[in-house]
Order: sequence, then C-alpha cells, then structure tokens
Amino acid sequence: MIASPSPAACCDLGLMAYPAAHALQVELAARRRQGALGHDLFLCVEHPPVYTLGRHGSRAHLGEGEDFLRERGIAVMVVERGGEITYHGPGQLVVYPILDLRRRRLGLRDYVYLLEELMLRLAADCGIAARRDPRNHGVWVGDSKLGSIGIAIRHGVAFHGLALNVDPDLEPFSWINPCGLTGIGMTSLAREGGHDCTMARLKALLPRHLADLFAVDLHFLGRDRLLAGHLSVPNQP
Amino acid sequence: MKEIEELKLPDDIRYTDDHEWAKITGDTVLVGVSDYAQDQMGDVVFVELPAIGDTFAKGDEFGTLESVKAVSELYMPMSGEVIAVNTALADSPELINQQPYATWIVEIKPSDPSEYGQLHDAASYLQLLKG
Repeated sequence: MIASPSPAACCDLGLMAYPAAHALQVELAARRRQGALGHDLFLCVEHPPVYTLGRHGSRAHLGEGEDFLRERGIAVMVVERGGEITYHGPGQLVVYPILDLRRRRLGLRDYVYLLEELMLRLAADCGIAARRDPRNHGVWVGDSKLGSIGIAIRHGVAFHGLALNVDPDLEPFSWINPCGLTGIGMTSLAREGGHDCTMARLKALLPRHLADLFAVDLHFLGRDRLLAGHLSVPNQP
Repeated sequence: MKEIEELKLPDDIRYTDDHEWAKITGDTVLVGVSDYAQDQMGDVVFVELPAIGDTFAKGDEFGTLESVKAVSELYMPMSGEVIAVNTALADSPELINQQPYATWIVEIKPSDPSEYGQLHDAASYLQLLKG
C-alpha cells in the first residue's frame, strides 16, 4: 500500500513533567501543520505522577476526589485529548506521535488501530499476549487494561497518543475510575510476568515497530537538539 | 468501519478537505460533518458549539467533536456569522453518527456566498477520500 518509507524522527524526552511535554507537543503540532516541521515526529517520554482528564471527561470519575489526590501530591490536569481520566507516572511508556494524518491519508480509525498494534507488539516482545477490546480502545490482558489511547487532531495533524504500562506503581489508578470505566483493573507488563520488560529495553524496541507500522525511515533526534528547536532530519538520499 | 463505496455522499451539498459539509438553504448555509468524518470518529460523545453571533473566516475553528478516542476540531466551510446552533446536540451528540446529513451543527449567514462554489462537490470529495 505504502511505497517508500518517508523520513521521520524519534526523540526520547526521558522524564518530563506533563505540562512541559504538553506545551512541546502543541507547538510541534502547529509547526507540523505550518510546514516548519517537515516530517512526522515520535516523542517518547515518562511523566512524573499526574492525572489527566479529557476536556469533557467527567469529574465523577475522580473516584477518591480531587482533594484526596492533591493531598498525595498528584495534580489533575484538563487536556484537549479525547477520553476520560487517566493516570501517568514513571514506569509508563508514553508515545506522542506528531503525525500529519492528512498527508499520510490515514484515517483516525486506522491510526488508532496502528497505535494499538504498536502496544500489542511491544507486549508480545515481553511474552505477553494482549488484545483489543471492542468495548473500549486501548490494549488489554484479560479484563485489565495494559495501555490507553487518547488523541487530539488539529487541521489533520494528530498529537497526544498512547500510554503503555511497563512497570509503574499501579496504586494511583485505584484512586480513580480509569477511562471512566468502573470495575476494571489496570495492569502492567511487569505484573503480567513479562520477561525483560524494562523501560530501557522497550525504548530500544520501539523504533523498529514504529518504522514497520508507520512505514518511516526513522532518525534519532536528541532531546537537547529538539528543545533547542533543531527539528530537521537528513533527507532521503 | 465503512468502505469508501459504502459512504453516503449526497450530491446536493458541498464538502471541505476537513470533512465538513455545507448546504444552502435560502440565504443561509447549514454546516455539519460528513459520513466519513462520523465513521472515522466513532461514537461522538460531545459537541462543542460556538455562540450565536460569532463570526468566522473560512477555515477558522468553530467548535470541536469529541469521541471516546479523539478530539477533532471543526472548521468553517465558508466565512460568515453563526445565526443558529443545533442545541439538540447537547443532549444527543449521537445524532451526528446516526444521521450525519440531517444533523446540522451550525447555521451561518455567509459573508461571501461565492465561497460555496470553491468547495468540493460529491464527486470531487469522493476523489479526495479515495486518494
């Protein structure tokens, strides 16, 4: 279907606070739309603990309540992605593709499918057979959620993305109703007994899957270069 | 998911690159989203509407559609003033999925009616979808 791979970049932001990473993606999505960023870009990041709520997500799913969460030092942020409340924290692999869906002629459904596929392949790399569930997006092991998806689209450019639980502290999920669903558990690759499921290994496996699934020739962009505004990757020979 | 051949694309309305539709009704224009847009979004759970009296240029964001998986902005197919919004969407956003062409989102009074002719007709929009 897709001819030759297009150039794209991947940047490991390491540990970055949610508001800073959010501002970065909004800016990069605007640059992608305007053409100043001439290729798709995959940001890979871990966040310090934070709850995020889709703009019209229900605060009823805060569970224990905002005061309870704040007392534990975890802020609640409202963001423009789709979906209900979720938790981000260290040990969770977050990928934010800044992807021009229109230029790729990629519909939202196919895009969500690819993000789920990416998480299924990473889980398989750790020996975990995860699956999709038609009742709710993301990837699951049994009735427990392993990874979540939330996307925003501006002028055909997608941002936000996916969060895969590698080995995070799962307790903060129990203080909310993740994704607005009651009575479901959250799980992680580590809890499911995945082998070698370290963040470092998953980050090392990620580029190959991105290259396969999105048909891109992936270049690596250093965090410092990205933050300094150097966005270009080498052109195709 | 619908195949492109299964999509309904009425030929008495015009379409944008961003999958909105525009329909002339007298001297006003109704605006909604196409069958393709609703099919891609999946179940719409919220529609953010502008205020009556807001004026926008062609291509401006006038609202958002939210489904369980994504938030997508809505863009004006033509320049003009919002003279009505579909308040039924506050309680029943699923109307967008059920009847994408019977469910208008805003009604506008266009400031430049000739912009209508610049939009895709059904055949041209179909070509866009087919790539």
